[in-house]
Amino acid sequence: MAKHSIMIIDDEKIVGDMARLSLEQEGYEVETYLDGRTALDRLVEKPFQVVVTDLKMKGVDGLEVLRTVKKLYPQTVVIMITAFANLDVAIEALRDDVHDFFPKPVKLKELKASIQRALGSGAAG
Amino acid sequence: MKIKQKVYFSNAVLIALIVLIGTFSLHDLNQILTKFRFTVIADELNASFLAMRLAEKNYLLYGDPDTLEEIEDILETSAASMDEVKADIIRAVGHDNYQQLKANLDEYQHSVEATRREATQAAGRKNRRDTLVRLRLAGRHLKEFSESITAMERERVGGIIAQSKTILLYSFLGVVFFALLFTYLIVANIGQSLRKVVELTEAIAKGNYGKEPVRILPNEMGAVIEAVNTMAGELQNREKEILQSKRLASIGILVTGVAHELNNPLNNISMIAQTYMEVYDNLEREQRIDFMQRVEEETERLRVIIKNLLDFSRPKEKHLVENEVNNVIQKTISLVQNMLNVSNIKLRLDFADNLPTVYIDEHQVQQVLVNITTNAIQAMGNTGRLTIVTRYLAGEDEVEIEIRDTGKGIEPKFMDHIFDPFFTTKEEGGTGLGLWVSYGIIRNHGGNLRVESSADVGTAFFVTLPSCKSVKECCNGKA
Repeated sequence: MAKHSIMIIDDEKIVGDMARLSLEQEGYEVETYLDGRTALDRLVEKPFQVVVTDLKMKGVDGLEVLRTVKKLYPQTVVIMITAFANLDVAIEALRDDVHDFFPKPVKLKELKASIQRALGSGAAG
Repeated sequence: MKIKQKVYFSNAVLIALIVLIGTFSLHDLNQILTKFRFTVIADELNASFLAMRLAEKNYLLYGDPDTLEEIEDILETSAASMDEVKADIIRAVGHDNYQQLKANLDEYQHSVEATRREATQAAGRKNRRDTLVRLRLAGRHLKEFSESITAMERERVGGIIAQSKTILLYSFLGVVFFALLFTYLIVANIGQSLRKVVELTEAIAKGNYGKEPVRILPNEMGAVIEAVNTMAGELQNREKEILQSKRLASIGILVTGVAHELNNPLNNISMIAQTYMEVYDNLEREQRIDFMQRVEEETERLRVIIKNLLDFSRPKEKHLVENEVNNVIQKTISLVQNMLNVSNIKLRLDFADNLPTVYIDEHQVQQVLVNITTNAIQAMGNTGRLTIVTRYLAGEDEVEIEIRDTGKGIEPKFMDHIFDPFFTTKEEGGTGLGLWVSYGIIRNHGGNLRVESSADVGTAFFVTLPSCKSVKECCNGKA
């Protein structure tokens, strides 16, 4: 079975670094990006099964990433993380078909469980 | 006195004056009318008396007794008409003159009767001549007296008319004078009150809501001033409320910003710890040390954020000394000169001479100037001109530093937020605290920091600091 590919976008380098270490250990293929623009450029070249993105970023933000991803690959699961636990934004994001929403500080176990659920349901569907 | 009352009062005085003049004039007119009526009567009497004297002359010349009868008829008619208009005559010439006239008439009548008697009794020649002399004398007396009082009355009428004319002229001038005086007084009063209102509203417009100790005027303008004062008080309350809500809003922005800023390094530390535990067994010693170093870096990041917050909330730690703004700017330029050279930015300095000194913490003000110039350099990229101007604002007794760049400008929608904590438009590396901290520093110096910007033309920051002599502590230090 081919490795599931996960893209992580966060302007905090440590988030990507740590999530990559943790997820690679679970057998996922992980790519990390520090801004939305570069990440979207990469997405055009290659589809990912899961995109984990920070909400608030300079330039292209999490919501724009979400919309573009859903347009390009409706099957791709998008998980949103943010330092702002802002409910309004959360609702808007969920309406736009976000799989899950994590306020910082993120619990890696929960994030991994969410990814597993998403891939499981995706496999079932 | 209220303005309304003043207007009423002045009108009442003027009306009273006019009524008085009217009364006098009416009185004079009545007098003239009475005298006039008398002169008409007197003319008739004089005509009668003239006829009597003509008859008397005829009697003397021709001795016709019929002429005496004629005289008696006229005398009777005259006496009757005198009785008829007695009241009018008395009113015109007085009781004494009437009696005198009457007496003259009686005397004449007696003379006429005596003459007739003598004519029928054929008295002595001498007696007769005496009687005739008396008759002529009485006749002359009567006529002369009658004519004299008539002439006198005509003269009086002339006098009354002349007097009336004079009184009317002076009264008219008096009324005009009082009308002008009252108008002037009332207008001056209103003008004075309006000036007070203008002063008050100007003070309010300048933001001075403190109820000026305006002496409340005892008129309608007093009520206006009081209303304006009340309005000023209400405005002050509203401004306080607005300031309070703005403060609350900026606290909200601050708290949200702080939460966000603290959340990121906290999340990083948390993720490092979680990952560290997960992958611990697979890590080399150096890798473990690297993990901990990153934890240390994130704690340092937290420490810097907290220090910046404290810098803003701990204004009392500034070390104020008397200093020269131009001098501080020169020192600041030496700090940023390298950045200017690297970015190929031209520097233009336009320092005012003889600027008053300021009372500042040099280090803090330098921090502000470095902050603003750094922002300017970053906004201009790799070419441009930085202009620093100093000037004295005499009206406010403040020194102003203008720092102007030729950069891309600030978008209008960001203008209201550039002094907000954690607000930044920089792509990377901006904490969003620089201008916020700068603003706090300048405000703590009793000064002000404001910005003007237009897209693609550039941005100008204006730092104003109170002059040393307007700061109490500074003066005390010098004394």
